[in-house]
Amino acid sequence: MAEQVTVQEVSDAMYKMIKDSMGQKKWKATDLTKAVTELFGDRCNKDLTKAAIRDLIENGKCVYTYFGGSFIEIPHREGAEN
Amino acid sequence: MAEKKRSTPQLDELEKGSWPSFVKEIKTAAEKNPMANDLLGQLERSYEDKISHWKHGGIVGVLGYGGGIIGRYSDLPEEFPNVSHFHTIRINQPAGWFYTSDVLRKLCDIWEKHGSGLTNMHGSTGDLVFLGTKTDELEPTFNELTDLGFDLGGSGSDVRTPSCCCGMARCEWACYDTMALTYFLTMHYQDELHRPAFPYKWKFKMSGCPNDCVAAIARSDMSIIGTWRDDIQVDEAAVTEYAKSGVDIQKDVVGNCPAKCMEWDGKKIKIDNKACVKCMHCINAMPKALAPGKDRGACILIGAKAPIVEGALLSSVLIPFIKLVPPYKELTDLVEKIHELWAENGKNRERVGEFIQRIGMGNFLEAIGVEPTPEMVAHPRENPYVFYEEYFEEDSEDNKNA
Amino acid sequence: MPEVQPKQKRKTDIGPPHYEKFLPPIIKENYGKWKYHEVLKPGVMVTVSETGARLYTVRAGSPRLLSIDKIRAYADLADKYCNGYLRFTSRHNVEFLLTDESKIDPLIRALDALGHPVGGMANSISSIVHTQGWVHCHSSATDASGVVKAVMDDLILYFTEMKLPAKLRIALACCLNMCGAVHCSDIAILGIHRRPPKVNRDRLKATCEIPSVVSACPTAAVRPVTVDGQPSVEVIEERCMFCANCFTVCPAMPINDPLNDGVSIWVGGKVSNARSEPMFSKLAIPFIPNNPPRWPEVVEAVRNLVEVWARNARKYERMGEWINRIGWPRFFEMTGIPFEKVHIDDFKHAGTTFKRSTHLTY
Repeated sequence: MAEQVTVQEVSDAMYKMIKDSMGQKKWKATDLTKAVTELFGDRCNKDLTKAAIRDLIENGKCVYTYFGGSFIEIPHREGAEN
Repeated sequence: MAEKKRSTPQLDELEKGSWPSFVKEIKTAAEKNPMANDLLGQLERSYEDKISHWKHGGIVGVLGYGGGIIGRYSDLPEEFPNVSHFHTIRINQPAGWFYTSDVLRKLCDIWEKHGSGLTNMHGSTGDLVFLGTKTDELEPTFNELTDLGFDLGGSGSDVRTPSCCCGMARCEWACYDTMALTYFLTMHYQDELHRPAFPYKWKFKMSGCPNDCVAAIARSDMSIIGTWRDDIQVDEAAVTEYAKSGVDIQKDVVGNCPAKCMEWDGKKIKIDNKACVKCMHCINAMPKALAPGKDRGACILIGAKAPIVEGALLSSVLIPFIKLVPPYKELTDLVEKIHELWAENGKNRERVGEFIQRIGMGNFLEAIGVEPTPEMVAHPRENPYVFYEEYFEEDSEDNKNA
Repeated sequence: MPEVQPKQKRKTDIGPPHYEKFLPPIIKENYGKWKYHEVLKPGVMVTVSETGARLYTVRAGSPRLLSIDKIRAYADLADKYCNGYLRFTSRHNVEFLLTDESKIDPLIRALDALGHPVGGMANSISSIVHTQGWVHCHSSATDASGVVKAVMDDLILYFTEMKLPAKLRIALACCLNMCGAVHCSDIAILGIHRRPPKVNRDRLKATCEIPSVVSACPTAAVRPVTVDGQPSVEVIEERCMFCANCFTVCPAMPINDPLNDGVSIWVGGKVSNARSEPMFSKLAIPFIPNNPPRWPEVVEAVRNLVEVWARNARKYERMGEWINRIGWPRFFEMTGIPFEKVHIDDFKHAGTTFKRSTHLTY
């Protein structure tokens, strides 16, 4: 069996995906899970992706947002707040 | 107070009349609270303009959670600076909405310190709602709430705050312990409640009997409605009492039975329990004389929702009968299978009811490993457009006797 | 996002307090042992245990939007009359849980003095389940609290008495999102938009993701376009049925319109399984313009529906059951509501709502 990736590697990969597509694509938790599962194959699993999302949020690198559905984004001041 | 009182000629009209007035509530809060005072001003403006002056906020929250805070901003922040941010906090209510005066006062003290002093008791989903505060107050409010033993409820694409009727706490008709199950599910799905990971919202509602006092069948993705399998319990002396007291048992009770499974000969009531559909009417009509049977449990239905996006749905039968006792393993196993399938394949903003319509109930059942049964349909299909996946082939073994 | 105080250990995922902490001793002792209940008079009920214990409930109406001052007043009443134990109902009523029968009438007088009528049980109109409206919602097509207040001022005697043929459940949602899920109510008051969203191109570019906006539309009325070399969206107006789903996904698609927003009224829904199966509410009155502060036309329309039903329904017959018995043609005749083109469904599966028999009355 392939060696598992670390939570850090998964959250770094997720962060890069979010950063690289800012303004073009909003990511849902399920989208991120699918994308990293594709990237790491069986070296990744659900517990890892869950922990990685929690890591991104709790370290303040990303926040949950709501626009008719919940997304994970890099924090920004929202239009309404300005 | 320093703030100038707002002039509200239109809202003042809603202080008149004998139903309790929400305007009086806002004015009471405005005596001491500048946010409530500006809310009054902005609301009066909406009454003049016939339009909402709120803007949606999608980013605010407490650290780590994706649910529980609804962001709102005024579109007239210069005129109403104290409601320029006015976010709602959803607080997970105790199951059955029971409180003590003591805990209510402590909640009020927190909100006096950190917000508008206005609440909803309760929001539509069931949460205790703190109505309106500034972004900077969210985290301190949350910390005081958790110190008091309260936590936030759901919002966004997560498990929404489960809610239930008062069940066994005050109702003889409760066919399972709704409050215990609600507390169990709320605790079991804490992560899913606070950290949105679904295509859209997921609601659990628990009603103890088919009267469905929390509207589970209309409003929840998983509706858990108490019912029974054996015979209605009859207290014949009490039936006689009802007849003596003037209840027209033939017309009002027997005559309204949808299954036509009751007979009344003027002395005794006879029920064909095999035919009874457990509608509750006769029991509602004569609560002292009739009661649900003793073999109690619940029917699990799936997929209710309001119109957005593809149209409103009522829940439909998924598990005709289940015994609901701790540790509820059969139920959580089922929920996990559904969540996994829907999270993987659902589209953004697609409720599970819409997802089932899109992929087909038959395919859905197959994917979660539930056998189809006739209880799940009002009637079998009326059209012949069947998507057959299996068929005979020339010379195949299966074909020999065909 | 504010900084978290490092000195304080944050608690998360603790869930709500366990309900047992808030149950009065009589409930703890008789949990699951209740034998029957009886409504003694409007808003007052006794629940009797197999042990003989008697729990009295006094139910009072509420505007749902409550100040902390009012909640404290409730708490004081609970202390004075029932050892501090109270609860709320799914329809926003407050209930006081008493063990001393002699305290019922003094409590009712105290609630009256506080301006909260006692009632809403059995064959009555209970409090109107409703949403936020202009008080707190960005997509509301009408106010919620104001309409509810005006309607309940008019119908309060149906709350404090029990003279109706059956119970009547009214609900109000201020837009099609239906936070109040009004779609299965005897009478549903529903805020509606009637004009397509206007696209704010600059804001759309800054805040919205175009594919999500496009896919948000259930009728494919929103499509991507390029304007001045910039990606944007346009709305095909004749396809729009004003659901505001695009606005929910993208704040740059405002749909509110003071002139054209208003209220529609729906009838005959129910959630209970008693007698008939649960049913959706159906369209009775397509549109009534917003007329704040007291929406007199809505008040009048609701009263008419309540009274025609109350006069003609049989005992136990909910609004929808009554209409099913007499038929929709007679419903429109008896209520005097004109039947129009928009009453006929033209969305998905509309054909199943056409009359497909000769079962008609003349």
